[in-house]
Amino acid sequence: MPVSDELDEIQAIFFEECAEGLAVAEQGLSAMAAGDVSKEVIGGVFRAVHSIKGGSGAFGHAALLAFSHCFENVLDEVRGGKIPATAEVTKVMLAAFDVLADHVGAAQGVVPPPADAAALAALEEVLATKGAGSGVAVTAVAPAAPAPPPPAPPPPAAAEPAEDQFGFTPLVATVEELDPFGFEPVGVALDDLGPDDSQPWTVRFAPSRAALGNGAEPLLTVRELERLGGVITEVDCSALPALRDLDPEESYLVWTLSLPRNVEESAIAECFDFVAPDSLIEITRADAPAPTPASPPPPPLVADPGSAGTPVLTLVDTVATPAAKPVPPPEARPMDAVLQTIRVDLTKLDMLLNLVGELVIRNSILSDRLSPVDQERVELPELARLTREIQDNVMSLRAQPIRQAFSRVPRMLRDLTAETGKQVILEISGETTEVDKGVIEKIGDPLTHMIRNAVDHGVESPADRIAAGKPAEGVIKLSAEQKGARIFVRVSDDGKGIDRPRVRAMAIDKGIIAADAVLSDEEIDQLICAPGFSTAATISSISGRGVGMDVVRSNVEALGGRVDITSTPGVGTTFTMILPLTLAILDGMIVRLAGQRFVLPLTNVIETVRPEPGQVRPLTPTSEVIELRGSYLPVKRLTNLFGFADAPRRLPEESLVIIVESETVGNVGLMVDTIDDRREVVIKSLDQNLYPIRGLGGATILGDGSIALILDIDALVASSGAMASNIPLKGLAA
Amino acid sequence: MSTLNTPGERKIVTFSLGKQVFGIDMNALIEIREWQDPTPLPSVPAYIKGVTNLRGTVVPVIGLAERLGWTPSVLHARSCILVVTIAGKQAGFLVDEVADIIVINEDQIQPAPEVEVNEQSVIAGLVQVAPRAQDGVPADSSTMVLLLDLQSLGLTRVLELAA
Repeated sequence: MPVSDELDEIQAIFFEECAEGLAVAEQGLSAMAAGDVSKEVIGGVFRAVHSIKGGSGAFGHAALLAFSHCFENVLDEVRGGKIPATAEVTKVMLAAFDVLADHVGAAQGVVPPPADAAALAALEEVLATKGAGSGVAVTAVAPAAPAPPPPAPPPPAAAEPAEDQFGFTPLVATVEELDPFGFEPVGVALDDLGPDDSQPWTVRFAPSRAALGNGAEPLLTVRELERLGGVITEVDCSALPALRDLDPEESYLVWTLSLPRNVEESAIAECFDFVAPDSLIEITRADAPAPTPASPPPPPLVADPGSAGTPVLTLVDTVATPAAKPVPPPEARPMDAVLQTIRVDLTKLDMLLNLVGELVIRNSILSDRLSPVDQERVELPELARLTREIQDNVMSLRAQPIRQAFSRVPRMLRDLTAETGKQVILEISGETTEVDKGVIEKIGDPLTHMIRNAVDHGVESPADRIAAGKPAEGVIKLSAEQKGARIFVRVSDDGKGIDRPRVRAMAIDKGIIAADAVLSDEEIDQLICAPGFSTAATISSISGRGVGMDVVRSNVEALGGRVDITSTPGVGTTFTMILPLTLAILDGMIVRLAGQRFVLPLTNVIETVRPEPGQVRPLTPTSEVIELRGSYLPVKRLTNLFGFADAPRRLPEESLVIIVESETVGNVGLMVDTIDDRREVVIKSLDQNLYPIRGLGGATILGDGSIALILDIDALVASSGAMASNIPLKGLAA
Repeated sequence: MSTLNTPGERKIVTFSLGKQVFGIDMNALIEIREWQDPTPLPSVPAYIKGVTNLRGTVVPVIGLAERLGWTPSVLHARSCILVVTIAGKQAGFLVDEVADIIVINEDQIQPAPEVEVNEQSVIAGLVQVAPRAQDGVPADSSTMVLLLDLQSLGLTRVLELAA
């Protein structure tokens, strides 16, 4: 590999570590701001900044080095207690952190180098005055400190201990399995497994060749020794012939065991009471540890001459030893304690995911082509179960805590509040919710817009808030939770709510709705997601560019999710992004329609009805309703929704009506010809080679290699509902 | 077969649509497949015939004749799909018949004359090709090959017009 590539690679790792370090530092600083100024927290921040400094020096990022150095100096003093961790100092450090993050970005070349003079000056001042320069602020803010600290995020566990504790912990590679009939025994040499002080007895045991034939069972003897605390340290397979020469009634192996000090020699000898007399038995006590290779030469029964360089299988049995009495080699333990992680290139993971997807498809091809009897015969169900487990595991590899997406919010909020003069407290919950990495990457922008929107349009200025009888500081709550196969990400503010008359007026003004349109409150709220809509009276750098919420909605819909808005005037607004847990797999119902197969996401399906004659009735020449337990639901023909109008129109009683739940128009019946199957499908996006099509959530490849389109129910019924809903009907009597 | 070109030399795959002979750069070609009915898509322009499964990837199939404004191809035994890559995206073009692979020099390419055709931008140039002697066809006249500019046939651009 060329040197430059290697350097790039190491540099990439450095930036990854920077990102982790920044996250740790931010977490710590936030905890400090919240009043937790314990040594662990401050230490965590210090170490994070310190390692960024170290790496930046190594890679020649001078600006980053200079700034992190200054920052580190302050942190060091704070850590040492020379500068008190007052709120004022914490604030300076938070500002410095933002600049540090920008420096890291600049070193990566993604953002221009930040202007760090102010932050540097502030740090220098803190350093010079030992934090006393802000004496006034200290007394002012002091009462805040004793307030019960919120459950501070645990100190970054991985950062420091990893350096000191796990440097060179000897790890014992355990030989998992010994296959006595292996054709070529593999020599595994483990250095320090010789009899140690706690196991001074060494027992070599080679049953006579004929032992098995005579009805002896060496295994019982070995078990007996193990019960005394013996541990097999070596098995000599050198006498083992090739498989075709192997006589199953002959014994070829030589065991070496070590036993603890407290075992009597007589007890060991007793184990061999019933062993054939011509077996090799050596019992030695090694108080001066004799390395295993120096043990007596192979026993005479080793007839095979070519044993000079014979491979020897040496193993230490830490797991399989029965009855748990034996002392396990102490060095095998730390393995469990270490949380072992490994960095994997994401493209490799995606490749794996793709391949597993293919495996799932192949699996369904097999189940399509084989009769149920044949499926059982070749144990296909077992294969399917395994495949599904692999799939689940690979999916979980991609799952990441949503914290990654949330992490940029605090910083953004600090910028926003500085810019607008509004005061906002951020409350984050559910940040450990795990979501597919693809989802996390794609909700960043929508989240940014939602937060901006909440600050810009939701939270009032402090004066307005006090006038409205609210505390001067607004609260923005950011939360994530998983419900079934969906993730709910909420941004709620306690601001003034959506100004519906103004939204309506703006929408009319911009020609989005007609002047005499009758809209419910919810419909008015939805208008702010309409393309080209922006209600900000003044165009600020934050929002008001007329793209914000439109982008949110289209991004979220592209992910197969949707945006809900609830707002109460004077109390606040909540935006909810409802997202699929994964972008790769979907539980679906395969339906047939005009000869073509479609996948209906099972999450939408409520029930399936085979209509009786007369149960489906026309409402208008182009629309129908179904009577279901006394109430009427609209029925849509997929053929009409898709414009496959030339398909022959089937009678309702020859069709099936699937009742689906839609977010926008409630429950709707979809008329399809038949239902083929129910199965998990692998989602293939249409925009990989084409572009997203409204009404379709993607495509999948079926068992026979053909493609079925995945329906996006919400988009489908919503797009047709908008057109059909302007017929004034007072109601229906059942 | 190497797709590397000596300087100034280009390998062109030629194919017919009706009576016209078109050419695309060999480098863009992924494979040639037999015609198979693709899965039709809703609410797309008529020239997007649907999507097909190309080794696990969903690839759109485009009626190239319609896309270029000619009368749609009629399917027959030699109809086939040229799978090409355009700006990282794959697409299959329905063509009437694949003719040949020719090697031309850059200086053989003439710019298409200004004509009042909307689709003029998709023609990158014209090349005159003499028919091969071993084809058994009397070499009475040379053929005009219309070189297509694949970038301008990319589907994303068309989408914005259609949407």
